[in-house]
Amino acid sequence: MIERLLHRGVGAVTLLQIGALVLPVAVVAGTAPPAFGGLLAATAITALTWEAVFSALRGYPMSYHGISTALIVAILLPAEAPLWHVAIVLSLGVVLGELIFGGRGFGFASPAAVTLALMLISFPQSTLGTPTEGLALATLPGAALLLAFGLIPWRVVLAVFLAAFAAMALGGQEIDPMAVGVALAFGVTFVICDPVAAAATPPGQWFYGALCGGLIVLFSPPGVPVPEALVFAALLGSVFAPLIDHLVVLAHARRRRRRHV
Amino acid sequence: MKKVEFGRSAASQQVAFRGRDSVKHFQIRHGEAPPSHRPPEQRVTDEIVTPAAAALLGDDMPGLRPRFAVAPGDRVKRGEVLFTDRRHPEIAYVAPLSGVVTEAAFGPRRTLSICEVTAYADNATGSEGAPPGAAAEASPRSTLLARGFWPAFRSRPFGWTPGPEAVPDAIVVNAVHAMPQNPDPAVVLAERLGAFHRGIALLGRLTGGPVFLCQSPGQPLGPDDDRVVHASFSGTCAAGLAGTQIDRLCPVAGGGEVWSIGYQDVAAIGHYFETGSYDPHRVVAISGPAADRPRLLRTPLGARLGDLGATDGRRALCGDPRDGRVGMYLGRDDLQVMLVDGALAGRAGAAAAPRRGGRPAPLVPTRALETALAVDVLAVPLLRALSVGDTDAARRTGCLALVEEDVAALSRRCTSGADYGALLRRALEDLRTDAA
Repeated sequence: MIERLLHRGVGAVTLLQIGALVLPVAVVAGTAPPAFGGLLAATAITALTWEAVFSALRGYPMSYHGISTALIVAILLPAEAPLWHVAIVLSLGVVLGELIFGGRGFGFASPAAVTLALMLISFPQSTLGTPTEGLALATLPGAALLLAFGLIPWRVVLAVFLAAFAAMALGGQEIDPMAVGVALAFGVTFVICDPVAAAATPPGQWFYGALCGGLIVLFSPPGVPVPEALVFAALLGSVFAPLIDHLVVLAHARRRRRRHV
Repeated sequence: MKKVEFGRSAASQQVAFRGRDSVKHFQIRHGEAPPSHRPPEQRVTDEIVTPAAAALLGDDMPGLRPRFAVAPGDRVKRGEVLFTDRRHPEIAYVAPLSGVVTEAAFGPRRTLSICEVTAYADNATGSEGAPPGAAAEASPRSTLLARGFWPAFRSRPFGWTPGPEAVPDAIVVNAVHAMPQNPDPAVVLAERLGAFHRGIALLGRLTGGPVFLCQSPGQPLGPDDDRVVHASFSGTCAAGLAGTQIDRLCPVAGGGEVWSIGYQDVAAIGHYFETGSYDPHRVVAISGPAADRPRLLRTPLGARLGDLGATDGRRALCGDPRDGRVGMYLGRDDLQVMLVDGALAGRAGAAAAPRRGGRPAPLVPTRALETALAVDVLAVPLLRALSVGDTDAARRTGCLALVEEDVAALSRRCTSGADYGALLRRALEDLRTDAA
C-alpha cells in the first residue's frame, strides 16, 4: 500500500501532507474571525501563482506542494495579518525556500519556515498566532497518518520533545508537559519534520531533532515555547541538517572500516 | 582523484563458527516482503526442456569485450568455447547447448551484445571428455577458467567477473531460499549433493579464506569441512541477495575482495570434475501472476523464453516478479521466469512509461527508503550521491559493496523513479577506472 502510493511519485506524498492539514485548517477556521478566509485565500493564491509561474518557465509539471505551504502559513499567522505582508513574504518564502532550487524536494529548507521567518524579520511588529489546544488535538490524526506512512521521521518528533524537556530542566524552568505539547505539536509535525528539511540519516535525525528542540527552548522566554522560536529553530536546524548528515556518513564510513579489519 | 583502497584482508577476521554443527543464523528485517503470487510446486524431474536456441547476453556481463572463437554458421558442441574475454583471454565463455552459432554480435564499444546458438535436433551430445583428474582437482583454477565456469563468480567490490589471477578473501555460496517463487535449493540439490560438496571443496582451493555456505534454516547442505562456514538466513527477500550475505559475513566496503556464486553453479562445477561433462542446465521456476501451473523445470543457461513450452503464449519476463526484465533469453543468474498478462510491473513497466516532464522527480526521504536496504549502507545519502553522479560521495556511503540487485528495492520505493541500478553501475565503473 505504502509502496504503491510512493511509486506514483511525489504527488502522493504531497497529497497525504495536504490531507493531514485539512483537520487543523478546519479547526482554525471554525474558531478564527472571518478574516481567516481572506488570509487562507491570499496564501493559496500566492503560493500557487508562483508555482505556476516556475512550472511554466521551466517546463515541468506542478507539484501542488504550494497548497501545503499555504495552509501551514495560514494556520501559523494571526488572522489579522495584513494581506500584502503575507503576499510578499510568502512569495519570497516559496521562491527562495523551494522553487529556485527546482521545486519540492530539491531545496534544503521548509518553505513555510522561510516564509514565517521572513515575516518576523521583515515586519518586526508582527507576531504569530498562539497554538490552541484545539489545533494541537486536530494535528494528532494527521501526524499519526504521516508517521504511519513514514513521511515524517519519528526520531525527529521524539528528539525534539526530549531535547526541549531536557533543555527546560537544565535551565531550571518549570515544565508543564501538556502546555509544551500544545505549543509544539503543529509546528513540529509540519515545519520541523518536513522530510526535505530534516536530516535524512537515522542518527542524523536524532541530532537534528535534538538541535531543534534545544534551540526552541533557547529562543523562547522561560515557560512555554513560542511559535516564533520554533520557526527560527526549524530554519537553523535545516541549515545544519546537510552538515549533520555529512558527519554521520563520515562516521559511518569510519566505523565500517574498523568493522572490517 | 582519490585512489580506492583495497588489499585489506577479510580473511583476517576471526571466524568462530566453523563446520556444520554451529550454524550462525541471521534474521533479515529490512528489505521487501516476497511477492504474493502462487509459488511453484517444488518438485524437480530429470527431464530437460531444451529450447530451440540459447544465448549469452552482454547485459549479464557489463563491460565485457569478447574475442569470438566462432563465427555465425559454425557448429559447436555444448561446453565448447564461444568467445574469450579480450582483456583476460584465459576466461572462456562456453556454449550452453550443441548447435549452430546463429548470431555473434558486438554492442557499443566492442562489448558483447549477444552470442546465440540454435540447437541441433539431437542436442544430447556434449563435448564429453575424461574427468579433469587429480592434478586439476588440486588446483582447479585453470580448468574453471577454460571450461566456462569462471563467469559464474561475481566479485565484490564492483560486481564483475573476477580477474583470472585474483584471490578472494572469502567465497560466498548463495543457497538461500528467500522467495517462495524461486526453486528451493534443498529440493534442487537433493539429488546432487555429491557434486555440490565436491564443488564446494574446489572453491576452497581458490581462496585462502573461508567458504561461506549461506542457506535457509534447516538441514545443512554443505559438507562437514573445516573450511566451510555454514550460515543461515531468513526474513525478507533481501536475505536471498549475495550482497546481504556478504555484508553480514565478510563486508568488503572497507577493503578486500569477496566472490559470490550461486548454488547451482557450484553443483555444475562439481559435476564437471566428477564426470568430465559440462552441465549447462539450471533449475528455474515458471511462476508469475499469469502462470496456470507454477512449476520447476530444468533448462540450459540463456534459454530462449518463448521456447520453454511452458509460457502458454503469455508474456514471459525473466527475473523476480517486481524486477522482471522483458527479455528473450533467460539471464545468467535468473532463477525465475515470470508469466504476466497485460500491463507490466516493476522495472519493465517503469521503462515502458517515461517520466513525465522529462526530468527526474524529486527524492523525498521517507522511512520506506530507510528500510529498503538490508546492508550496512545509509540509503538516502547513497541515493543523493548516485542521483547527482558524485562517485566520491557514493564511495563514502559504501556503494562498493553493492551491485544492481541490491538497490533494486530502492528504485521501486523512491519517489524519484530513478533507476538506481544503472546509476550505481555508472558510479562503479568510474571508481574502477580511478582505481586502475
